[in-house]
Amino acid sequence: MKKLAVFTAIMLLLLIPAVVGAESGEVLIENSRGFDGKQVTFQGEVIGVMIRENNAWVNIYDNGIAIGIWCSADNARNISFSGDYTHVGDTVMVGGTFHMACPEHGGDTDIHADNFTILAVGRVVARTPDLPTVVVSVVLMILAIFIIFWLRHVRKEKGKVVPWPMSWR
Amino acid sequence: MIPQLTREDLKIIGYNLGRVGNIIGVLMLVPIVISIIYQEFDIIPHFIAASALALILSNLAVHFLNTKKEMELKHALCVAALAWIFMMMLTAIPLYTTHSTGSYLDANFETMSGFTTTGLSLAQDVDHLSHSINFYRHYLQFIGGMGIIVVALTVLARSEVGSVLTFKSEGREEILRPNVARTSRAIFGIAATFLVLGTVLFAIVGIYEGMNVGTSFFDGVNHAMAAFSTGGFSPHSQNILYYHSFPYEIVALIIFLIGSFNFAFHYAVLSGKRREMFKNIEIRTIFITLMLSTLVIAAGLLYFNVYSSPEILFRKAFFQAASAHTTTGFGTVYPAQMSNVWPNLPQTMMSIIMLLGACANSTGGGIKAIRVGIMAKAFFREVKKALSPKTAVVSEKYHHISDTPLTDTVVKGAALITIGYIVLFFVGTTVTMLYGYNGVDSMYETSSAVGNVGLSCGVTSPAMPSMLKVTYIFLMWAGRLEIMAVLVLVGFAILALRKGIKK
Repeated sequence: MKKLAVFTAIMLLLLIPAVVGAESGEVLIENSRGFDGKQVTFQGEVIGVMIRENNAWVNIYDNGIAIGIWCSADNARNISFSGDYTHVGDTVMVGGTFHMACPEHGGDTDIHADNFTILAVGRVVARTPDLPTVVVSVVLMILAIFIIFWLRHVRKEKGKVVPWPMSWR
Repeated sequence: MIPQLTREDLKIIGYNLGRVGNIIGVLMLVPIVISIIYQEFDIIPHFIAASALALILSNLAVHFLNTKKEMELKHALCVAALAWIFMMMLTAIPLYTTHSTGSYLDANFETMSGFTTTGLSLAQDVDHLSHSINFYRHYLQFIGGMGIIVVALTVLARSEVGSVLTFKSEGREEILRPNVARTSRAIFGIAATFLVLGTVLFAIVGIYEGMNVGTSFFDGVNHAMAAFSTGGFSPHSQNILYYHSFPYEIVALIIFLIGSFNFAFHYAVLSGKRREMFKNIEIRTIFITLMLSTLVIAAGLLYFNVYSSPEILFRKAFFQAASAHTTTGFGTVYPAQMSNVWPNLPQTMMSIIMLLGACANSTGGGIKAIRVGIMAKAFFREVKKALSPKTAVVSEKYHHISDTPLTDTVVKGAALITIGYIVLFFVGTTVTMLYGYNGVDSMYETSSAVGNVGLSCGVTSPAMPSMLKVTYIFLMWAGRLEIMAVLVLVGFAILALRKGIKK
């Protein structure tokens, strides 16, 4: 019984990195030869969905690296938000086969998903103008318009003969 | 003897820089349209503030430095060189204030990369940038691409060395159109046509490949601008790989190949001179070097078992090679894979073709196909001479719009610019290696910056040392201006320091 418990514990420990410890995008791409053809788990934010008949490409972003996931169209249809400036995309976890140069997809680096789980639904990000920036921009633009018209007036008055600035005399 | 600099010289330069700044100030307001469409109202003040600042500085310069004295070649070259720096600093403001880049230096890097149609990027989190800022990045590439052609035709053409690449040499200055204004209109007409065509094609393919209509058009406009200007920016960090689409890659390939052709060639073909497609020295040179380099790259990738099938080799080897040779910078391979997975042979071949570059008077960078073609012809002429009897007269000509004799002056001009590029390449590679990067990666990234390409093997990142960022800004700038204008500017500065400025 004790031996069985130890064996089970060891097996669980071996399985944990594959199930729980998702590889980061950076690690996958930096070591793509090593991961080629292997089962990986990848977690990140959805930044793009393209449905192609019964399948779909879902681009998932993780800390500066985005990887294309080839999954079923049904998985893609369950995605609520794709990340951009005004949205945080759904967070998903994907388990599947990593290809450094996928023979099915013209040599693209991708992951063919066996399982696809939405961990968190994304949200809308409110972007409101920053008041000090608005004030500065309005003041600068008024100043610019004033200078343009004032200088045009000065040029007309002086018959387009313009003096040197004081510092240059 | 070189005359001493006068205040009048500085006034001419300052006045013309002011005029450039005025144009930039107005152009910076255009992305506000995108901000309104996508309701990104928080971005609008950043464009307004930067535009206002540009207009204030420029109008003051135009007013106080107003001069009726004619601009000479030395002034024109200095204005060309300084305008790029001036534009970079002004247009970097919205990128910095919207936190699209990590620092003002990074923003300058991004705008210099944009204006020089390079495509190396230090933007933070491109996938989450606002639509207006993303549009702005691509739009800068389009403006820069068109701008360099006008500069090449009107300024660089007037220098002895620069003449090799333009129509001014050999009395062929009227080939495109008789004057600068009409030439510029012709250039913008051609560019606008391909911009519309590119946008429609990208959008149709995007929709066909499962993207929504809005995103397809937005990405289409951006990619059409980046492709035609051989820029290489993309609204996505994965670049063209984002789409996982062969048709999308084909459209990109067509548009950037067209963008890399000489505008005189475009004009000639559109005017009915179809034979130019087969006779033009630049087209022939680029075809030969592209095919040879693709063969070497594909052989290397095949030998080292990176890719196996012909389709994969076409989509990875040919696409990357064409993107590098046309100095576009679109990629379907991750930068880290270029360094870690691609063997040294294909990576080095990529560095070489990035340095060779596209056609003269195009939006492309690098040494330029016409110079490579001229030097190759000169090489064969010398071999012919050596094999011919002493009394024989060996002459050679090249065809670019019309037949032109291959004179020693033309060869010298081509060789001088080539030497300049090689010097820049060695300086950049050495500096990169001094920061601890390996030789192959250093050559690759330097070629990309000098040749205004934009492909990266991972060296360019916000975390790279500041001095390396400054070095690459310099390389992109000097490479874009074909060195000559930069040397004249340096000469101006030395002259001012040694002899002072005459009142």
